[in-house]
Amino acid sequence: MRFVPSRGDVSMEPAQSLQLLILGIALGSVYALIALGYSMVYGVLRLINFAHGDIIMVGAFVGYFIAKATFTELLPLPLRLAFVFIGAMLACAALGVAIERCAYRPIRNQPRLTALITAIGVSLLLEYGGQVVLGATPRQDLPEWLTSQTPLLSLGSVQVRDKQLLVLGGSLLLLALMRFIVFNTMIGKAMRAVSHDLTAAYLVGINVNRVIAMTFAIGSALAAAAGVMMAMSYPKIDPLMGLMPGIKAFVAAVLGGIGDLPGAVLGGFVLGLAETFVGYFASGLRDAVAFAILILILLFKPTGLLGKGMVEKV
Amino acid sequence: MKRSKFALAALATLIAFWFIDRACAVWLDPYAFYLLRLIGINLMLAISLNLIMGFTGQFSLGHAGFMAVGAYAAAATSKWLVAHYPSIAQQPALKLSIFLATTLLGGVMAAISGLVVGLPTLRLRGDYLAIATLGFGEIIRVAFVNLEVVGGARGLTDIPPLGETAFVSHFLWVALWAAVTLWVIYRLVRCTRGIAFQCIREDELAAASIGINTTYYKVLAFVVGAFFAGVAGSLFAHDPSQRYINPDTFKFMKSIEAIVMVIVGGMGSLTGTVMAAGFLTVLPELLRSIGEYRMVLYSVLLIVMMLMRPQGLLGGWELTWRRRRKVDFEPIHAKQKMQLASSDGVILNLRNCTMQFGGLVAVRDFHLQLRKGELVGLIGPNGAGKTTVFNIVTGVYKPTAGEIWLDSIRLDSQLQHRIAQFGVARTFQNIRLFKELSVLDNVRAAFVHRAGYSFLSAVLALPHQEEEEQAIERKCVALLRLFGLQERMNEKAKNLPYGDQRRLEIVRALALSPKVLLLDEPTAGMNPAETQELMQLIKHLNEDWGLTILLIEHDMKVVMGICQRVVVMDFGEIIAEGSPEQIQRDPKVIAAYLGEPMEAKESADTKPS
Repeated sequence: MRFVPSRGDVSMEPAQSLQLLILGIALGSVYALIALGYSMVYGVLRLINFAHGDIIMVGAFVGYFIAKATFTELLPLPLRLAFVFIGAMLACAALGVAIERCAYRPIRNQPRLTALITAIGVSLLLEYGGQVVLGATPRQDLPEWLTSQTPLLSLGSVQVRDKQLLVLGGSLLLLALMRFIVFNTMIGKAMRAVSHDLTAAYLVGINVNRVIAMTFAIGSALAAAAGVMMAMSYPKIDPLMGLMPGIKAFVAAVLGGIGDLPGAVLGGFVLGLAETFVGYFASGLRDAVAFAILILILLFKPTGLLGKGMVEKV
Repeated sequence: MKRSKFALAALATLIAFWFIDRACAVWLDPYAFYLLRLIGINLMLAISLNLIMGFTGQFSLGHAGFMAVGAYAAAATSKWLVAHYPSIAQQPALKLSIFLATTLLGGVMAAISGLVVGLPTLRLRGDYLAIATLGFGEIIRVAFVNLEVVGGARGLTDIPPLGETAFVSHFLWVALWAAVTLWVIYRLVRCTRGIAFQCIREDELAAASIGINTTYYKVLAFVVGAFFAGVAGSLFAHDPSQRYINPDTFKFMKSIEAIVMVIVGGMGSLTGTVMAAGFLTVLPELLRSIGEYRMVLYSVLLIVMMLMRPQGLLGGWELTWRRRRKVDFEPIHAKQKMQLASSDGVILNLRNCTMQFGGLVAVRDFHLQLRKGELVGLIGPNGAGKTTVFNIVTGVYKPTAGEIWLDSIRLDSQLQHRIAQFGVARTFQNIRLFKELSVLDNVRAAFVHRAGYSFLSAVLALPHQEEEEQAIERKCVALLRLFGLQERMNEKAKNLPYGDQRRLEIVRALALSPKVLLLDEPTAGMNPAETQELMQLIKHLNEDWGLTILLIEHDMKVVMGICQRVVVMDFGEIIAEGSPEQIQRDPKVIAAYLGEPMEAKESADTKPS
């Protein structure tokens, strides 16, 4: 048995580890955005929204088409970027609401297994529907201005690139916005109420359907932003691109304690860093990291790092 | 079934399959023949998954991982053998035995991986289990990508088609293994011991309360399911039209395909799974003309299926050719009653038991002694901790402090199913029947741990297994008669009226032949006539069978009417104990139920001043 390592030596220079740290945090912030959406939906519906990963893909494609549209050429760069992000986020928010309305709402009171399988069905539909509409071959012709990685500052061999900074800054901004929405607004309070007890939320007059739709809209918008960020960092998009990041972000959500929003963010960063460092030493095992973490956390602390346990009432 | 009859049936199947094999090899279009083999392989995959998912209720998203283990183990072995001993190919008999051996090896390796995956993950439930199995499935795949010895990402090519000789084709082996899979799993889930699988799906806690070792049966379902998935993998890898595997063959999508077959066919329906495996293997081929749209159609089918008919086309329905025969019952003799009856002495003893949930002390320093043959009532206002007492006795919770003894067995360190096996049976406040199972099967489930045969004899349909089954069934029917439920024994438990459901839960508990019976509000929700009737039955169990009973009840007519002794709890502590007459006069009890009289409170308030 021989595992193929990507580097012969296991030792690492401080500069390299700093570089990996930057990469890991950038990746982690993307995972954090996706994980947040997973966790929010799980919080209100106790549903693993498998299609969440594919929303990332749709977001990336919407961003790609907006970026390719000729009118964007006329705008200054920051406005162009804003257009790409906001367009993708709005489109995906609408898609998220539509999915919830058509697929999840009719089975809300069914066993959770039914919901999970429906979610898998929606995920497959987006993937293969995407292949039919967009073609299965990956697209690599993203505009230069969207993907170029200009080093902003260099410290010896360590480089911080503009898009890394944009990804990190954008994610942090969105995370802060989320924190504000969830903890400082009425709709956020309603969301937290629904996630505590859906029936009781009905009883105190909360429009639960609207809150759930909002949750899907916000979660999907975050996934769309993450999709555009992924397209910036790895300029190759295809209809199946959301599958792996989706599952991994779910792992991040479980790692932090599913349903717990700060936990999801923490989990995202931990996973991003772990993956980047392991990938450096053994690139073949990169994809296994997330699952190894998942199994460890499920075995030793199934409620996650920050989650609280639930006891079955007898 | 007689042993000779079973062997004869097996032989007849073999010969029939061989004729089909020959006929197909001569007349059938090679592509259609390949499809037929693919149906068989998919059938094995789906049936084995149905045992895990449909019958045991454990959602697994990593079934393709087990198939991969089987395929790789078998294919790598045969490839190595043929490369080192080329003469194998010339000797048909040797070739076929090596094929059988490598296929078995594939199954065993997959079963081992099932054990390794199952032991840790099956503590998880629902969504978490689904994701953990998905994780394991992916890890298995990534491991193969990184294993250079089996070709890494390129996979294994030129796998020798060892199943093909001049006089048989690969189809025969696929058909035989598919038949074996179907038969084994059919026998497993139908025998009394195998009811355990469905009980776990319906209600794990109730299953443990009647002595079913839930972990064991869950892991067993995983191991058996993984074994047949591994065999299917080996058959797939050795298929003369395939002969090639790589890690991507066993991606997440492969698991999804198997899941869709189980779901479309119906969770817990073998007939449905067979039909779905056939239909869903052929469907993509029929849809080849619309090319890329077929996967879209597939996913839409899945969603629509879930929205319209989530239990699958056939639900739990099964094609059966044997009509339910009328079962006679075994009258309950005095001798059996004697087993239950007993001499004097303490049978259940709770000493200083405390149960704390975080800051809340639900039960504090609780003492209770039940003497053999006693009928004791446990009463108290809502939230007094009565059900918590039941839960610590039956092992649902571990008491924070104190000791619980049943005769000379210490219960408080034991697992739930062990406590039930020692002879503590209970019913639940909110009825916990196995809703989708028949009334009879609900009672049979209590015999799971006492069925006097192995799973192997059930699979081989040995005569003593059949006799044992009949004996169990007679005992169950006798108990059902006692409670007037024998007329409805083939109905699903969920379709019984409320009062019957309560009675059935008592029958299920009695079927354990318990030493102590704990009844949690047995008359809740019953009308006065039903209550009266049940009261008489409980009295009958206690007086004529000598059964020791602890009864939680809010209906004071029942408690005062039949209990010899009453224990009153409030805020987790015993506030009074004595005969029904004493309890009725006890001021503390009256205060707990009705509150303190105004004057008494006032005088108490004014006293210090």
